[in-house]
Amino acid sequence: MASFLQNVIAGIETGSLYALAALGVVLIYRVSAVTNFAQGEMAMFSGFVAYSLWQRLSLAFGNTHVTYIMAFIGALLFATIFGFIVEKVFIRPALRGSLVGKMIITLGLIMIVNGSAGALFGTDTHAMRRAITTPSFFIGGLLIRPNAYFIIFLTLIIMFILFYLIRKTMFGVAIRATAENETTARLMGVPTAKVSSVAWIIATILGATAGILIAPATNVHTNMMADVHLKSFIAAVLGGFTSFIGPVIGGLLIGVMDNLVGFYISAKWRTVIVYGFLILILIVKPAGLFGKVRRKKV
Amino acid sequence: MEDSKGTIRKNNRLISNLLKGKPQQYLVVGIIFLLIPIINLWTGMISFSNMTLLNNVVIFAIAALGFNILLGYAGQVSLGHAAFMGMGAYLSAYLTMQLELPFLLSLLLSGLVPMVIGLLLGLVALRLASLYLAIATLGLGVTFQNIFIEWTALTGGHAGLRRIPYPEILGFEIRQREHFLILSIVILVGLAIFSYNFLHSKTGRALIAMRDSEHAAQAMGISLFKYKLYAFALSAFYVGIAGSLYAHLYRYVEPSAWGVELSLNLLAMVVIGGLASIGGSIVGAAFIQLLPRVMQDLPLVGGITNINFILTGVALIVVIIFFPTGLIRRFDFLWNKLKAKVGKLNSKEGGTP
Repeated sequence: MASFLQNVIAGIETGSLYALAALGVVLIYRVSAVTNFAQGEMAMFSGFVAYSLWQRLSLAFGNTHVTYIMAFIGALLFATIFGFIVEKVFIRPALRGSLVGKMIITLGLIMIVNGSAGALFGTDTHAMRRAITTPSFFIGGLLIRPNAYFIIFLTLIIMFILFYLIRKTMFGVAIRATAENETTARLMGVPTAKVSSVAWIIATILGATAGILIAPATNVHTNMMADVHLKSFIAAVLGGFTSFIGPVIGGLLIGVMDNLVGFYISAKWRTVIVYGFLILILIVKPAGLFGKVRRKKV
Repeated sequence: MEDSKGTIRKNNRLISNLLKGKPQQYLVVGIIFLLIPIINLWTGMISFSNMTLLNNVVIFAIAALGFNILLGYAGQVSLGHAAFMGMGAYLSAYLTMQLELPFLLSLLLSGLVPMVIGLLLGLVALRLASLYLAIATLGLGVTFQNIFIEWTALTGGHAGLRRIPYPEILGFEIRQREHFLILSIVILVGLAIFSYNFLHSKTGRALIAMRDSEHAAQAMGISLFKYKLYAFALSAFYVGIAGSLYAHLYRYVEPSAWGVELSLNLLAMVVIGGLASIGGSIVGAAFIQLLPRVMQDLPLVGGITNINFILTGVALIVVIIFFPTGLIRRFDFLWNKLKAKVGKLNSKEGGTP
């Protein structure tokens, strides 16, 4: 029972990170009709920035919690600028392009971001510290890892803020209006260009947060986000791209399933099994568990 | 004087007749390119590594050709076609090493088995919108790479398979790069002609109609079921054949070659060369394969790690934003301009027609 619970908690831990990244993907998709395949690579780049900042600051001021927090905040600031620039330079010029064309631009972005990360930071693997370094302890046979609870807690707060923004504020209304119909929203006076810009910034910050928090488990290297990225996309597909709550549930589901399959069935084949599960779901429900099928008009 | 002009015109007409049909053009261009390995057998002007590179160009041109049928003609985005290429490579290695089948049979089989898997993928794709399909195929690619690593009995795991036999056709063992290039060019030309005929039949037009609007195509009585399956099956077949050739060229297969990077590169080849264009697939493959070689010799820039990957990405985006029809159409545009000029000159010389 203890090992089951432990796996579920570990699953919720990674699952909430998948959910964060997936939320970023869905946010961008809804607002600017682009599927950002470079989300994972952008998060990896931000992870590298966090790592380098942390190293530099630790050298200068000593390895304390303060330097870690400063590095974390520095990386988020970087992500803000990064998301803004990417939207401005790569996405805006292709606004009127076809869906497939915009998808291909983000695929090109993967190559550019991944290649530049290798060129700037090198292709070595680095160890990153945990957010909470308090060592794990047992309570009645159950291993308690403070870092895991911190991650779950932090993502809950971030999601709460995000949902509050989307549901209750004027800005959220603008986002939802743009997501519903870009042209109509623009005619109604919604500054859709600004909305799209902000959506990219928020999504990049969400990805960066997920990247920095998962870095202790995956280490920092140019391929660190490959697995997380795929899982977050699967989470978005599972939940459906049409709602904001769907990807969160999808992410948690994937995280928990991944851990349980890895523990009880086969650690070697878990990617294959989890992926097979996705295909099954897609065959039964092509728009995801919570997605609505939208009929395209001719 | 009159006479010589007449013969020139007759000759011109002969040449233009010869080059009128695209299949004939492919054949002629193929024969011209066949001269490279044949001449090199005597002179040895092109080094071994450059010969390997040329082989690579042709092999990836075959893969890109298949991928273009799917992406360019049918409009289906797949991010997992590296899996089919890997499948073809491992299968061919297994068939020739373990079962000791003849090369040509295993080449065919390593096209046909991915084709069957491609059919299954097509069945799933029938239900999915383009975005969901892209993600599902992305997962497919990762999953198959995982299988290549974990199924050690068949694939040799991380270490891969070594000492794959040389291809042997009718008792002739293809050991030299030049001979291999002849083989792959012949296969490429054959497949290009087949694609042309296939895509310029009813099927090709149905695929294009489906790409432009599924609903409109359906209303015209086009069976999405049939044609989506065609596109997936055929593209997987081509890519599998390319994989098999790759395995026999390098005589070594390992799982890291069949990752997302390869799928992205295939997509880049097709987009940069020209969507829905047979010549474009070949130009795109040459672009992606030759870029590293060209960059390597450049001072300053050549030293940057990953510069090829970065530049491919930049090229991909630049092409999509500025020339959405690909490089080949630029060539076609210039070629037609030239032809129009030559035609004008000819008619001036010939007087009244």
